[in-house]
Amino acid sequence: MNSIALTWKLARTGGRRGWQGQLLAAAAAAISVLILLLLLAVYLGAGTRGDHAAWRTPSPDPRGTAVQALSTTFVRGTPVTVVQLAQLPDRPATAPPPGLTDFSQPGEVYLSPALAALIRELPAGQLAGRFPRPASYHTIGRAGLASPDELIAVIGRTPADPAISSLPESDAGLGLTARAVVSGFARTAANPGSLFAFDQTGALMAVGLLVVPVLVLAAASGRLGAARREQRLAGLRLAGATPRQILAMTGAEAFAVGAAGAMAGAAAYGLLLPLVARVPYGVGAWYPGDLWVGPAYLIAMIVLIAGVIAVSAMSALRRVAMAPLGVARQADPQRTRTARLVVFLVAAGYIGVRASQGNLGIGGTLTLMLLCYGAYLTLGPWVVDRLGRIIGRFARRPAMLLAARRLSDDPRGAWRTVSGLVLAGFVAGFCSVAQLGAIGASYPGQVAVQVTPAEGGQTVEDLAAQARDRLRAAGLIATVQADPDDSLLWDSGIVAQITGGPAEIDTALTVLTGLVPGVAPYTQDLGNADITMTVRQLGQVGFAALLLGFLTAATSAGLTAAATVLDRRRTYRLLRLAGTPLALLNRARTWETAVPLVILAGGTTALGVFAATRLNSMVGTGQSTNAGRLAACVLVGAVAMFAAIGASRPLLRAVTADPVRADD
Amino acid sequence: MSEALAGYGLVKKYGSATALAGVDVAVRARESLAIMGPSGSGKSTLLHVLAGVIRPDEGRVMLGEERIDRLGENRLSALRRDRFGFVFQSGQLLPELPAEENVALPLMLSGSRRREAVIRARRWFGPLGLDGLERRRPGQLSGGQAQRVAIARALVVEPDVVFADEPTGALDQATGEEVIRLLTTVTGSLGAALVMVTHDAGVAAHCDRIVQVRDGLIAGRRQSAVAPTRNGAAS
Ligand SMILES: Nc1ncnc2c1ncn2[C@@H]1O[C@H](COP(=O)(O)OP(=O)(O)O)[C@@H](O)[C@H]1O
Ligand SMILES: [Mg+2]
Repeated sequence: MNSIALTWKLARTGGRRGWQGQLLAAAAAAISVLILLLLLAVYLGAGTRGDHAAWRTPSPDPRGTAVQALSTTFVRGTPVTVVQLAQLPDRPATAPPPGLTDFSQPGEVYLSPALAALIRELPAGQLAGRFPRPASYHTIGRAGLASPDELIAVIGRTPADPAISSLPESDAGLGLTARAVVSGFARTAANPGSLFAFDQTGALMAVGLLVVPVLVLAAASGRLGAARREQRLAGLRLAGATPRQILAMTGAEAFAVGAAGAMAGAAAYGLLLPLVARVPYGVGAWYPGDLWVGPAYLIAMIVLIAGVIAVSAMSALRRVAMAPLGVARQADPQRTRTARLVVFLVAAGYIGVRASQGNLGIGGTLTLMLLCYGAYLTLGPWVVDRLGRIIGRFARRPAMLLAARRLSDDPRGAWRTVSGLVLAGFVAGFCSVAQLGAIGASYPGQVAVQVTPAEGGQTVEDLAAQARDRLRAAGLIATVQADPDDSLLWDSGIVAQITGGPAEIDTALTVLTGLVPGVAPYTQDLGNADITMTVRQLGQVGFAALLLGFLTAATSAGLTAAATVLDRRRTYRLLRLAGTPLALLNRARTWETAVPLVILAGGTTALGVFAATRLNSMVGTGQSTNAGRLAACVLVGAVAMFAAIGASRPLLRAVTADPVRADD
Repeated sequence: MSEALAGYGLVKKYGSATALAGVDVAVRARESLAIMGPSGSGKSTLLHVLAGVIRPDEGRVMLGEERIDRLGENRLSALRRDRFGFVFQSGQLLPELPAEENVALPLMLSGSRRREAVIRARRWFGPLGLDGLERRRPGQLSGGQAQRVAIARALVVEPDVVFADEPTGALDQATGEEVIRLLTTVTGSLGAALVMVTHDAGVAAHCDRIVQVRDGLIAGRRQSAVAPTRNGAAS
């Protein structure tokens, strides 16, 4: 009989327990694939939607046919991208940008659906008044939009219109204002615009944070399956199957189960797409199509996870396959090298030096944080080993002794179980302390209008007086100054200090539009736009990583605990038979996870807090701990972990309940 | 001399299958009893009923003057821990504990301090020929050595009765003989009774008495022909 047929027969004769094990392993595979596909979807989707956004930034061509001007205004603090187009006379007609049916004629206004809705919703004096008001608006189609939530207006002008001609050609790298003669509109670009700058980086961060825990989860599920199969395979070994055959069978079965689960996970990904697409990231929610990774990636992920599960199952089974009596003979306990400590110390030293130099910028800080985590990853097993030995020396209660001995017996395994939460601890520690939202210039309530000296004859004081009139007419309480000392202004101009909230600011922005023809008033939001977006996305990535990190870490801890019970069911059964209380065995199992978890996850949480305080003092904001959120994260993590371990208690009870089967 | 452990009229059914069909069996202090019989005849069931692991459907189990087959689960657990010792075919040692801690574990479970428990455990290594192996882990021991560590663990609580289920099942002939010789003599020198399940006549021959079980009934009893005179020396 060939291996595959034999494997199938074995799988079918595995009984109810066997099927339950397969189901668990398949579920873990499904979760792994689901998370990996979502990460991949966000990464690829960020690229796709960047392509959809690329056309708004003009790509200069001196022999072009039209003038394109990009500017950004804010409503309720949210950026509105404004693209103004003017066909140059005596030049060939310009093709319309993506999402527009025709090249906009002077006076025509195209709005994204979200902006159109907002214009209907808000009083004209707060938003619509900033743009020309045609009899009816056109709608920008999906091809020109990165997100259904995007706020975009495309306005047709004549080339001489000051709204276009007085716009600066660039805004010193901010990427929110630009003007150029163009010959067409890019549909793919390396630089999709500053509001999308962090999209892919953020997605990559999430991948970096989650890929290891997800693979650990897949491997844990492979181990669980192997533990279930061990008994039948040991019997086969006695019946004369060669180790190679047994490994092949195990691999085939684990792969099949993993692939089945992975396909379910892929299907779940497909079904969840419309829901996931509603989760905002950066500029807003997604078009579901942008999150579709395509069949090639889908298959690749399924194969990857099924492969990891098969390899993990085979390596878990190697011991049994080699020893005919099924007695796991592990000669020496694993030793962890002190070299790990050296690597960690070198990395930590480097991090310390770089951090004390300050002024790393966001990128440098992130790199350093990842390095921190890498160093921790190296150090983890070594710390677990040491912990085991120290506790082993001083333990008095048998449960503690058992836990300690297990830690130093398999430090890497114990580390794998907790590494996911250790990582989540870092993210939680960092996010609850970092005052990222406070980065950037802070001039609340100010609305500024830039005035270039060439402005025909009018003095800044004249303009300030006009602005006062306009603001008063709109019913606003404001003080207007010309060229104040410390303000939002980069150059000469007027600044209105508005009393009130977002609605009043939006009114001021609207009434001051056109004060100087072609010059748009602005608030602090303009200068802070890119950093605000980055901070928001960091928060979104951090939260997602935390949530999914908890999910995977708790699931794999639970699976590992169950696999351990099954691996050692004979010993546990005999111990119980000889009078060892079940509670003691459970306590030992809990300790062996709790001790490294508390010490290591506690350590990384502290590290995250420390990194965040460094960042805070670097950008000069005050320190404030969001202790409540941190406590909530720690609590949720701990509860999830112990619930997952506790879930295998009934399993322990069940496998030890039947003493007569002690000889299997 | 009165019985250390006795079962009267023991019946145990699994659904329609009868594992024990009315068995009387007794063992005295210092005495060793071998339970023999073909596979599936009810040997292990008998051992487990006597050891308070399984409750019989009918009959009584007496440990000295105390009836134990009606005790609660926690009492039974404590009883097994403190007054019985167990030796199985294999797999009873915790692989990550050094030999001496495996032996000390039952003492710690019964409330001894760890230092004390390890010191008492070490005393058993010499008599069982395990000198120098105290810090080895089970994976670093041979099959015979591991079984001798298991014997030390069964005896360290100074039990009234030692139960052994196929203790030589995973060993070769010569090693098995050696392990059995140690098991019977050391158990006897402690003053404990020994109840041992085996299907190996050579192994059974080391015991004072042998009962044959067939289809859940005692099919024969005899004094072991070649039983060593260890009890004779003691009495
Ligand atoms: N938990 C159980 N459930 C059902 N049948 C059992 C169980 N334990 C033992 N038996 C049955 O009782 C009989 C005696 O079993 P056992 O005492 O293990 O035999 P032996 O140890 O002599 O090989 C066998 O027929 C066995 O199938
Ligand atoms: Mg048996």
